[in-house]
Amino acid sequence: MRGLRGAIRLQLQIVRADRGYLNEILANPFFAIIFLGVVRASGRNDLTSFAIVAPVLMTLWAMGLEISGNIVDSDRHLGILEEVVATPTPFGTVVCGRVLTVTMLSAVAVAETWFVARVGFGVDVTIEHPEVFVATLLVTGLAMTGTALVMAGAFVLAGGARTFQNTMNYPIYLLAGVLVPISFLPQWLRPVGRLIFLSWSADLLRDSLRAAPATDVWLRLGAIILLGTIGFAIGLLVLTLILRRVRELGTIGHT
Amino acid sequence: MAVDIDGLTRLFHTKNPPAFGRSSLRPEVVALDAVSLQVDQGEIHGLLGPNGAGKTTLVKILATILLPTSGTARVMGHDVVSDTAAVRPLIGIVLGGERGLYNRLTARQNLRYWAALYKLEPKAGWARVDELLRRVGLEGRADERVQSYSRGMRQRLHLARGLVNDPPVLFLDEPSTGMDPVAARELRVIVTELAAEGRTVFLTTHDMAEAEALCNRVTLIDHGRLLATETPRQLSTMLSRFERIECEGAADGVIKAVGALRGVSTVTSKGVSTRIEVDTEGVVAEVMRHLVSSGVTSVRVTRPSLEEVYLSLIGERGMDV
Repeated sequence: MRGLRGAIRLQLQIVRADRGYLNEILANPFFAIIFLGVVRASGRNDLTSFAIVAPVLMTLWAMGLEISGNIVDSDRHLGILEEVVATPTPFGTVVCGRVLTVTMLSAVAVAETWFVARVGFGVDVTIEHPEVFVATLLVTGLAMTGTALVMAGAFVLAGGARTFQNTMNYPIYLLAGVLVPISFLPQWLRPVGRLIFLSWSADLLRDSLRAAPATDVWLRLGAIILLGTIGFAIGLLVLTLILRRVRELGTIGHT
Repeated sequence: MAVDIDGLTRLFHTKNPPAFGRSSLRPEVVALDAVSLQVDQGEIHGLLGPNGAGKTTLVKILATILLPTSGTARVMGHDVVSDTAAVRPLIGIVLGGERGLYNRLTARQNLRYWAALYKLEPKAGWARVDELLRRVGLEGRADERVQSYSRGMRQRLHLARGLVNDPPVLFLDEPSTGMDPVAARELRVIVTELAAEGRTVFLTTHDMAEAEALCNRVTLIDHGRLLATETPRQLSTMLSRFERIECEGAADGVIKAVGALRGVSTVTSKGVSTRIEVDTEGVVAEVMRHLVSSGVTSVRVTRPSLEEVYLSLIGERGMDV
């Protein structure tokens, strides 16, 4: 726990010292303007919840993935990665602490999006089921941390994984029904979308905005937790195997 | 035994640049070739060698950063491959250079992070950080960003980082690189103090004077092979097994006569100075007597420096690696 706390404190200090870590949060209002603008222009006010939830989840996902790559990249560049790996704190714990910090900070996107909706479009978005909304955001942040762990492993093994990360964001948003309903996907593709925790998060967050009762909340939260736990398990395993591999190859510190 | 290395070998595969989309493996590079070495607890052990000799590779294996290809290495009795969890809390690593720190954070923030990674209690860890900042003379600038630090200050901070967990074994890779003479001297004082506290210091360096001044024993390494492990004084003896004589103002006839003595191997003159090297035990006294009786009053017996030993054993291959 001390290592985890140390990683969280470090990440907060780094974010304070280097605002570049908050780029995704700065970009969020632009996405909110675009999505709300499209909904307004097309007269599809029934899709307002999509326009509200999408930028929030996009910020959370992008920041989580960005930081997982950045931890490895910058620690390598600064010549710190080798020494971190040689401490008693497992590297996975360091990554978890730092990613968790950033994903929790990305909750600022909620306030930004609400602000854009109200000031820019006169839309007063009410969270009809706040407990569902908050619980979903929390478990989504944890699940994101698990996914980021897998990506961090890929970044340790190959610097080129960063390019892959940048290109996979939008396919994931589409596949998980973040931008458009998952029901728009071909029938055969929908089960694949359900394997991404974001699809469950997006649905629950949107339901929490509607007046109608949110159904199967525990089941759906459980799905996010399950997928997040699987992500954690795979991430820790991948990271352990990859660290062993790069210790064999002698490439931990390679930039 | 603080460090026990037995038949340690490390090979590296390097890749050629991709050709037609595929990369090919080059032949293996032998970074360490069946290295065996023992370092006692409380010893300051120097590892001397040119660039690419395998010094850093050896330190990284001992620090659990790299895996060996074959052979074993133990630190404080724990295997560095199979028992990394036991090794890591016992070692401090200073890999040297300007890198290795979060530049946008302060020295105190950097050290507190490392204290947490070594699982120190927050209160004890922060007190340890304050103590180390005092020890390396950075207390007054502890809350400034590291990016404003000089190279010497960064090196001192590196050393503090390596000590944050109060390790019984400390690996220092070129710790004085970039330091000015005053800072380098201060570093030597600290390293000597660390050894006096009972710590084992395993030090790689290019600085012969540093190795000579600091180390109890020195290992010479080149092309991944250990050439010799001795005290600095014993290494000096290895080069010219016997002492040599330097004199000034000796007449040509005297120099010629000394050169003809049995056991004198080389006589070299430069200006008024002459150096007489011998290859037989007991000849030094005879040469001294001969010089003094010939009226030469400026005479001294010297030993080769560690640098001469180093160059003699490794060869003067300059920048080649």
